[in-house]
Amino acid sequence: MNPTTHDPDDRLLEELAAALEATDPVPERFVEAAKASFTWRTIDAELAELVFDSAEGELAGVRGVDSTREITFRTPSFEIEVAIISDGVRRLIGQLVPAQVGVVELQFAGASVTTESDSLGRFSFDDVPLGPISLKIEAADGATTQTAWTLV
Amino acid sequence: MTGVAVHSSTGSPVSLAAMTEATTAELLQAAGGGSQDAWNTLVDRYARLVWSVIRGFRFDEATAGDVSQTVWLRLVEHVGRIRNPDRLASWLATTARNEAIRTKRIYERTVPTAVEFQIADSDPALDAGLLASERQVEVAAAFAELAEDCRQLLHAVTADPPLDYETIGQMLDRPVGSIGPTRARCLEKLRRSLETNQRAHGDADRGRESK
Repeated sequence: MNPTTHDPDDRLLEELAAALEATDPVPERFVEAAKASFTWRTIDAELAELVFDSAEGELAGVRGVDSTREITFRTPSFEIEVAIISDGVRRLIGQLVPAQVGVVELQFAGASVTTESDSLGRFSFDDVPLGPISLKIEAADGATTQTAWTLV
Repeated sequence: MTGVAVHSSTGSPVSLAAMTEATTAELLQAAGGGSQDAWNTLVDRYARLVWSVIRGFRFDEATAGDVSQTVWLRLVEHVGRIRNPDRLASWLATTARNEAIRTKRIYERTVPTAVEFQIADSDPALDAGLLASERQVEVAAAFAELAEDCRQLLHAVTADPPLDYETIGQMLDRPVGSIGPTRARCLEKLRRSLETNQRAHGDADRGRESK
């Protein structure tokens, strides 16, 4: 390799970059998974942004005790409140605010499951897998909303 | 989609070979229009950048994979919404860092004994691929011994594609003006660590040093 610079720091940095490249390549299955994630592309759904995550809060002193994580997603017209409860099995319970009846799809790596929200906007899923998830909500009027992908 | 040809916004076909020559803006546009080939090219182009950010946090492999996947899914949902394609590297790096920090906090909060949040303390020398030279393994091993702030900074300044200091400052939550001096300080530590290791191995490896 021909050094392109005579500055010792730049040379060491070039050497480090090459060393990291050679000894620490991107795991191929990460690349494959990233490519496969394109199948989750949706073109018609409004994005519900993550606006609150209790995992980011400053709930001091609950480390190891707190087994419920609360997450809120928001669109201009409604909110999706979600709790992930880990008590043996991992459950996801959620509510659409304001309440509405709709079809709720829980998407996760390579698969999805579907349920319906009740008249109070509530819905739930059992056995939520570890990893990134997204909720897709189809309202009664056909409007589709999808939450930001979130690692749970 | 299995076809090799994809279509640009003007309707003219774009060959797969041309994908690797395409600009990031063109790829984002094509991916936003549904081109898996354009998406794959984007992943190939930026996977190392995303990995370099996540790697610095030393998650176990499953967690690192989840964080990586979350970042790419975030890009899937934004692929048609990225306003400034020139900032994609910065957007990916920042998203990866935010997700990694969030994930680290979750593990610290919910795993009392940090059993699942294992330090990936694998020996770089053992993990090294066949392509790595002895010297490269030494450099990587010395790098692995640095403190986390130095590893993250040096990962950032060796990112490919390169990141400007402004982006690195945002990523690492450091003043832009501190990056140059910190880079120098961390490189000095790397240099010292390399020299120490070489001295330690000197007896066993006498005469095998390449320089």
